[in-house]
Amino acid sequence: MTREGPVKCVVWDIDNTLLTGTYLESGDQPPGADPALTAVLAELGERGILHALASKNPPEAAEHTARVTGWRFAAAECGWGSKSGALARIAAALGIAVDALAFVDDDPYERAEVGLALPGVLVLSPEDAAEAAGWPEFSPPVITPEARRRGEMYAERRRRQAAERSFGGTREEFLASAGTQVGIAAATAADVPRLEELAVRTRQFNSAAGLPGPAMSQDWFRGLLSAPDRDVVTVRLRDAFGDDGVVGGCVIARDAGTWTVPLLMMSCRAMGRGVIDALLAWLIRHAARAGARRLLIPCVANSRNVPLRLALAAAGFRAPGPAGPAPAPAPYQRDLGPPLPALPRRVSAPGEPGGDAA
Amino acid sequence: MNPPGRADVASVSDDLRAFLASATGRDELLRIPPGTALFGTEVGLDSLTGTLLLREIQRRFGVDVAGEDLNLDSLATLGTLAAFVAQRARPEGHP
Repeated sequence: MTREGPVKCVVWDIDNTLLTGTYLESGDQPPGADPALTAVLAELGERGILHALASKNPPEAAEHTARVTGWRFAAAECGWGSKSGALARIAAALGIAVDALAFVDDDPYERAEVGLALPGVLVLSPEDAAEAAGWPEFSPPVITPEARRRGEMYAERRRRQAAERSFGGTREEFLASAGTQVGIAAATAADVPRLEELAVRTRQFNSAAGLPGPAMSQDWFRGLLSAPDRDVVTVRLRDAFGDDGVVGGCVIARDAGTWTVPLLMMSCRAMGRGVIDALLAWLIRHAARAGARRLLIPCVANSRNVPLRLALAAAGFRAPGPAGPAPAPAPYQRDLGPPLPALPRRVSAPGEPGGDAA
Repeated sequence: MNPPGRADVASVSDDLRAFLASATGRDELLRIPPGTALFGTEVGLDSLTGTLLLREIQRRFGVDVAGEDLNLDSLATLGTLAAFVAQRARPEGHP
């Protein structure tokens, strides 16, 4: 299996990679930062790519590396276990797929271990990494305000998770206490770059990932904005910990009787915050109010998008009959008869009490 | 006695309750009856806790629920999920 799609996070080794020497062997004078790779950190960071550390060192080595490179790493794994294990934990902590990681290490043994255990990871030597900024895997087609603020948002996310762990009540109660606000609205031309970015980057919550179909480019979204029987919708998320901006969206095709959602997507950063459930509940209510009898969301069913399949199942969607041969989508659908799902008060949406009539 | 390669539904149910209680920090989930709906308001399984639950089932029992059940109908109640897992669980020590 080879990797595909852009890199979301680069996991760096420390000794003789980001540092010009070995941390533990240098006594009182720990080594400085490699200037070429420090420049790569900054350049990729500008594009919204995250950085993390995986090192066979005590945690002080990560603190030293952060200091000398001047970089705030999204995650750090220091210990004596395997690097592949460290990468898996970093991916889980950041809520991204292991296949969205790149790994840089000067030690060929470590590169081989990770390459063998995690074939989806892009494995690079420090020499490769110095040039990687020019590679397509590290070149997202658009750089949005959400992308530029991504490192900061992960810091907010860590504070939010710590608060939730000590909260004690249900998730619903935590979302309310954190002042969570979900805003569903019609997309405008200004949202198009972010919509394309979500279409390209999201994997765990993307109904069309892996399906043959139109390239979901900015031109495609612009065409939909002016189509009479199509709607493009954005979902924004904010709370007391921070503003995540546009975290999701969908496309609606309004045909008599049955409404179809050819694309439903959400950033995995918004997972566990009631966003996908709110969007599905609103879609059901919105379509039913307009007189549709059925809502169809074609979605490929694989192991990567289990989170989206769980959300569809929870909202009452089912795919009748066995799925066709991969990558055919499973026709997840739901009848729109009463009772309709409730929409939490924290959600504002077109046609809902208190919502803006976007 | 269980046939080889099968797990006991009651003990799987207890494992699932313990996991749900620890993942959500809500001890009352240790006492839910088998008929409790997992997606309903009481448990409130969402895509985050659901993904963690399915990962734990795969790790502990070697059962790939999402791979075998397209519609995830097995997640209807605690009892249906425990039966689905117990039916397919691999013997311990052969993950």
